[in-house]
Amino acid sequence: MGVVWHWLAAPREGWYLAAFIIAALVLGGTALAMLTSTPPRYRKTVVMVVTFVAGLYYSLEFLLPPEAWFFTKPHRNPLTEAQPVVATLAQIVSSFALLLGVWNLFLIHGRAVAKRSAGWYNSAAFFVAFFGILAAGLLKDAAAGKSGQVAENVYLVLFNGFLTSLDSTMFSLIAFYIVSAAYRAFRIKSLEAALMMAAAAIIMLALVPVGAVITNWLPEHGILSAFRIERVGYWLLTGPNMAAQRAIAFGVAVGGLAMGLRIWLSLERGSFFDRQL
Amino acid sequence: MGETSQYANPAVWIVEGLLVFFIIWKILSARRGRELFIRRIPGLSALDEAVGRATEMGRPMLFAPGLSGLDIVGLQSMSILSHVVRRAAKYGSRVIVPLADPVLYTVAEEVAKDAYAAEGVPERFAPEDIRFLSDRQFAWASGVVGILHREQVASAFYFGYYYAESLILSENGQMVGAIQVAGTPATTQIPFFLASCDYTIIGDEYYAASAYLSREPTLLGSLVGQDLGKLVIVGLIVLGAVTVTVQSLCPGAQWLCDLANLFIKYFPRS
Repeated sequence: MGVVWHWLAAPREGWYLAAFIIAALVLGGTALAMLTSTPPRYRKTVVMVVTFVAGLYYSLEFLLPPEAWFFTKPHRNPLTEAQPVVATLAQIVSSFALLLGVWNLFLIHGRAVAKRSAGWYNSAAFFVAFFGILAAGLLKDAAAGKSGQVAENVYLVLFNGFLTSLDSTMFSLIAFYIVSAAYRAFRIKSLEAALMMAAAAIIMLALVPVGAVITNWLPEHGILSAFRIERVGYWLLTGPNMAAQRAIAFGVAVGGLAMGLRIWLSLERGSFFDRQL
Repeated sequence: MGETSQYANPAVWIVEGLLVFFIIWKILSARRGRELFIRRIPGLSALDEAVGRATEMGRPMLFAPGLSGLDIVGLQSMSILSHVVRRAAKYGSRVIVPLADPVLYTVAEEVAKDAYAAEGVPERFAPEDIRFLSDRQFAWASGVVGILHREQVASAFYFGYYYAESLILSENGQMVGAIQVAGTPATTQIPFFLASCDYTIIGDEYYAASAYLSREPTLLGSLVGQDLGKLVIVGLIVLGAVTVTVQSLCPGAQWLCDLANLFIKYFPRS
């Protein structure tokens, strides 16, 4: 099996690479056509089998220890070695879907520009940005010499100058939103809100020097030292807060396991899973 | 302190085996017709209220699955989307679904199409309401914020995996006066949703959504199985705490020391 993985994943170039891509596309297209033309009854079975086999791969990869007696090479689980190939397969499927996503963007914004609907110039800006960065990205790799350098500079300006800066701008907005959200959350309307306000006040004071000054008169050692605000804050974070966080994390993990199990065994019902495939 | 490994150890086999056993056992018993109780979850009950509000106001709704991809979290989000779209189709409302993952975008489109068809109004499905915006976190967030303000949405649903963009979205939802319901398994984002949304679904309630909304025996059984699984984990926590505490109180007892070391070996800290 390892030999097949290595042969599939080996780097190729030139005509050999082109032939490989064409063969892969033909194979993929044939599989898709076969699946589409399969009667719905059998199609559902095919999807169930593929889901089960895919789930089984990851389950066995995790559950089987490398030192198991049936693995010929000690401390090597062959399923683990196949992981890069499996990850590449998943990445290829995602790449196809990305094209669909881009197609959706083109449809929505193309329609807005064609109909001159409200804010159509924003849609036009999308096309300018899309083709601008696409051209710069392709040219920086393809063109040589001075024009290649120019394309690289343009690409860097677009990426670092625009995209990264806009990302940072959005991220920094969170600081202002935290203030408005905190104001609403800390309005004391119930016992729970009062407790949250008190806990938040202690944590905030524990993290700033002025907080430490407030309880500085308490001794650093002994029973009374436990009431110093920095210690109370630390206890709140590592005690009650951590316990609640872990309880939620356990619940989420068990819920995820149950959901995963239902999908793996094709038991999921109630939404799109039970429709006729 | 024990060593962690990327592979399961015997303790994982036993605990995971028990969890799987309880879930499948309860699914099978629910399928045989056994009545199972499920407590009220206000956040999930509020979904219909939010859809009704949007219908009354004649404004669209927004359903954002966060940055989820085609994984467990994303699929659960699609399950909830199906319910919301079906309700919207029934009342003649619009649901806008902005997506950050291209694979999930294709699934969301099919889910919405099926939901309209299931309600007998396939012609009302508008493909432009299912929008792939960007796979970059803040580009997607700014796109969603734009939709919230331009469309003046009446109700906003945030179900999926969220990172720092959670607060940006929910605060902008507040600004446009939308009723907001959120649910995420991301523990770091739950406080932000709690602070700025009307209803928040916490932790494993997120995974209870499909059972709660559909009342399908298989899903209800799975939910009860999950609760038994949580009891197993609680039991292990108590056992671990007692073993380690007793060992520290009686340092001379070798068998207690061995038991505590065994526990730490198979349940190491990550």
